[in-house]
Amino acid sequence: MENYLSTEFRRATPLFLEEARAKGRYRTAQRVFETLTPEQVVDEVKNSGLRGRGGAWFPTGIKWSFMPKEPLKGPSYLVINADEGEPGTFKDRQIMEKDPHLLLEGILIGSFAIRAETAFLYIRGEYKLAHDTLAQAIAELEAAGILGDAAFGTKRKMRIVLHRGAGAYICGEETALLNSLEGRRGEPRPKPPFPAVWGAFGRPTSVNNVETLANVPAILEKGAAWYKSAGTAQAPGHLLFGVSGAVERPGCFELPLGTTARELVERWAGGVKGGRRMKAFIPGGASTGFLPPDRLDVPMDPESLRKEGTMLGTGGIIVIPEGVEIVDAARVFSRFFRHETCGQCSPCREGSAWSDQVVGRFQRGEGRTEDFVLLDAIMRGSKQRTICVFPEAFAGPLGSAVKHFKDDLMAVSARRAAADAGSGAAAHGTASHG
Amino acid sequence: MAELTIDGRKVEVAAGTNLIEAARKLAIDIPYYCYHPALAPVGSCRMCQVEILDPGKPPRVAIACRTEATQGLNVSTTGKDCVAARAATLEFLLANHPLDCPICDKAGECDLQDFTYRHGHGAGRFSEPKREKLKHELIGDHILLDQERCILCTRCVRFMDEYAKSPSLVVAGRGDRNVIAIFPGEPIHSNYEGNLADICPVGALTLKEFRFKSRVWDLSSEESVCTGCDRGCSVLLETKRNRLLRVRPRVNLQVNGHFMCDQGRFGLLDAANPVAREELGWVKGARVTAAEAATALATTLAAERGRWLVLLSARLTGEELLLATAVLGPLAKQLAWVPTAASGGDDILFTGRRAPNEKALERLSVPALDEAAAAKVLAEPATAGLLCFDAALAARLLAQAKGKRLALVDVVRDFDPAAGKAPHGAELFVPGTLASEKDGTFLNVDAVLQRARRAQRWPQGTVAEAALLLQVAATASLSVAALTQKPDLTFALLEALGQPGMLLNQLPDDGVKLTPTAAAVSA
Ligand SMILES: Cc1cc2nc3c(=O)[nH]c(=O)nc-3n(C[C@H](O)[C@H](O)[C@H](O)COP(=O)(O)O)c2cc1C
Ligand code: SF4
Ligand code: SF4
Repeated sequence: MENYLSTEFRRATPLFLEEARAKGRYRTAQRVFETLTPEQVVDEVKNSGLRGRGGAWFPTGIKWSFMPKEPLKGPSYLVINADEGEPGTFKDRQIMEKDPHLLLEGILIGSFAIRAETAFLYIRGEYKLAHDTLAQAIAELEAAGILGDAAFGTKRKMRIVLHRGAGAYICGEETALLNSLEGRRGEPRPKPPFPAVWGAFGRPTSVNNVETLANVPAILEKGAAWYKSAGTAQAPGHLLFGVSGAVERPGCFELPLGTTARELVERWAGGVKGGRRMKAFIPGGASTGFLPPDRLDVPMDPESLRKEGTMLGTGGIIVIPEGVEIVDAARVFSRFFRHETCGQCSPCREGSAWSDQVVGRFQRGEGRTEDFVLLDAIMRGSKQRTICVFPEAFAGPLGSAVKHFKDDLMAVSARRAAADAGSGAAAHGTASHG
Repeated sequence: MAELTIDGRKVEVAAGTNLIEAARKLAIDIPYYCYHPALAPVGSCRMCQVEILDPGKPPRVAIACRTEATQGLNVSTTGKDCVAARAATLEFLLANHPLDCPICDKAGECDLQDFTYRHGHGAGRFSEPKREKLKHELIGDHILLDQERCILCTRCVRFMDEYAKSPSLVVAGRGDRNVIAIFPGEPIHSNYEGNLADICPVGALTLKEFRFKSRVWDLSSEESVCTGCDRGCSVLLETKRNRLLRVRPRVNLQVNGHFMCDQGRFGLLDAANPVAREELGWVKGARVTAAEAATALATTLAAERGRWLVLLSARLTGEELLLATAVLGPLAKQLAWVPTAASGGDDILFTGRRAPNEKALERLSVPALDEAAAAKVLAEPATAGLLCFDAALAARLLAQAKGKRLALVDVVRDFDPAAGKAPHGAELFVPGTLASEKDGTFLNVDAVLQRARRAQRWPQGTVAEAALLLQVAATASLSVAALTQKPDLTFALLEALGQPGMLLNQLPDDGVKLTPTAAAVSA
């Protein structure tokens, strides 16, 4: 299957409307608006097996089928999750900065499918360039009459509202995003009710990731059967894999789901930087945790990685080379998650902070064997015990460090303790308060 | 309705009732912090975890506050997963808690202490440095905030938003830096602030007025009624060594729900601990015992029958008012009361009518006089003087009818006996008693009759109003047998109000709602 997501990624400047239309963009959306029914679009997407690229891998067609059908007593909304906060993830950004109309065409079709006349595009605050690019592309669509009171000259109204976030990882969680969009504190909402019932401004809402929507025009153009010809049976299509960390050529690569991490790292990203050995890799963003290099041949799809006790997440691989200690990498993540939990649930707020303190002790050479029991209790007391799955996220790096690198953690702690005793130094490295 | 099973016992509740309330019906205690029956549930503290048992599936841990009762639901509060989950939640909450119970006002009635005993581990494993946050900061007129003790349940935030309709608190920060805070430079300004100390499940929000006053287990507590306005909120009066130290609302869904206002709470506190109260009586410029003053008053009224204007007060209990109508009615030139104008009321609880028993006066058909009319009656040459149960009203009327004689029965504070003058220049002064010093009933604005129990002793030698009235009756040879032969005065009062009789001791804790009078029905 030819690439359909990253065709414009090598450009210096974004693909804007005139050129995009010359390449056939919006022909599919126009056909959808003029000749299809929402049900037909939902069915096609359902048949394609497209699953959400935001990290949870929920089937997109099924999510859309939860949205109310006509007649409506008020608006339904499409909300586009462009918060892209997962460390190691930079795929949505490529789409928005290089090929804004790919996303916008997906938004038009998605809105049509769920009968939404307003789409809110929630973009992370740090993505200034992507925001400005999208703002320009949206203005182009408004000028061209594609957005407005008669989208594509049909009776449908369509508008897209851009909204910038203010820099909080938790606002990527879909219900925290909705709260933030409404001007409330960015805290996840208890579910039920789910967004399809009570979403943005209390209206039925579908929240979809940028890359998810970017898949939609190709599916509608070429059909579900074409789409299923790539990827795995349960996760068809291409994915924008990110590879970062200690590799020769970090980047974003469009490849079929099920491609191995080894192929991504060695073939596409040019291998570990400077020919060093790999200590560990993270398969799909910070929350998926560490895997030892002997797992490099596991196919990168949701099911295969679940069997390894982890997740595909966002497909953002991070490579950690020999010479970097797992405890130091784990501390980077424990601090991140401690900093980014919204903190409304007691187990998550306290558990993320407490475990960060424990990892901090290991880092300073003060690890104790009984700490493993404690860390396990912290994770068990918080996973599946809170409003959102944030504890699963902070338990990713933590749990995998304990599972795969326990001896390493103890050894490094002991070594640093000995070095401290030798040098008489009190503190070590990047240790912070508590 | 939905019939469900909790810990093997069946209970029927309205469909949609949450599991905390459903369990409460079975007297099964599910612990919780963020939940409050009067606020929208947010499900964040994770203390109320229980297990849902679906046939053929492993038990599923869920929060009780946001799980609705449905037909056939099977719930366990004792399964090992939910027991472990609750213990874990407590360990998390205690990790950074200062554990300063020995100096915390909340100790003894703290949900963190109590649940730790019932649901927690014996020992904590937290050995890291604890977080430091703001301590004992005054964030309003009454409330001190200790962010270190706070467990971030957000009840306080939601209370100010949802109930007090005065959004003043926020969660500021993120993650473990979260704190409860006011907007910078904007302290709480609300008539419902005091409730924050009650709804805070820990000692994070405490009352300035109660700070370090007593350990809570040293308090004696009586169920009573607030006399701050005619809402008549159900309260607890809490005393130590005869001093009222704390007033708290008591749940009464037909009157005040779960809360009370600050006018009432702090007004009662002030009223019940009067400064420089005059405990002796006065007769014609001489300071005498209360008993001597009572005798002089009785003699005067009996001798000058039909010449005194008598104004009752809505601060008297229903029983006292009933007795007063029977005794003073035949002796007075005119028996009446002066309605209080409402001021400062809101649409939450406070009515602004600082006259707790006006409805009883109305229902007993005591004629109402406005202040100008009362002054006119008093000024008439045929009127010998004013017998008044309200010192402030008496002072205002005498200012308009100069030279008239005054007999006053009330509590007088800030009194200086060295000045050698009776309160308000009264010819006869009999010290009255406080509502908190006697046992009787009040009829609120919605016709709910509630009992106020005696929480304090009155000063030694006091002739309380009821005794005074009986003495007047005896002196004037009036028979009050029609009342005193009833099982008790409350029974007589209810009959006088056209209701079936009931003893004071039989009144339910949340009072009785009176049926409308014939007059009210036909009107
Ligand atoms: C802590 C947390 C952070 C998340 N951050 C993002 C994000 O930055 N972008 C995103 O698309 N989804 C994110 N998600 C997933 C969203 O909640 C949601 O599943 C997704 O937006 C749905 O879109 P999809 O079905 O197209 O994947 C996050 C979830 C959690 C729990
Ligand atoms: S689990 Fe954590 S991040 Fe999610 S809502 Fe609760 S406190 Fe917030
Ligand atoms: S101050 Fe009290 S009521 Fe407010 S969040 Fe903290 S513990 Fe809860």
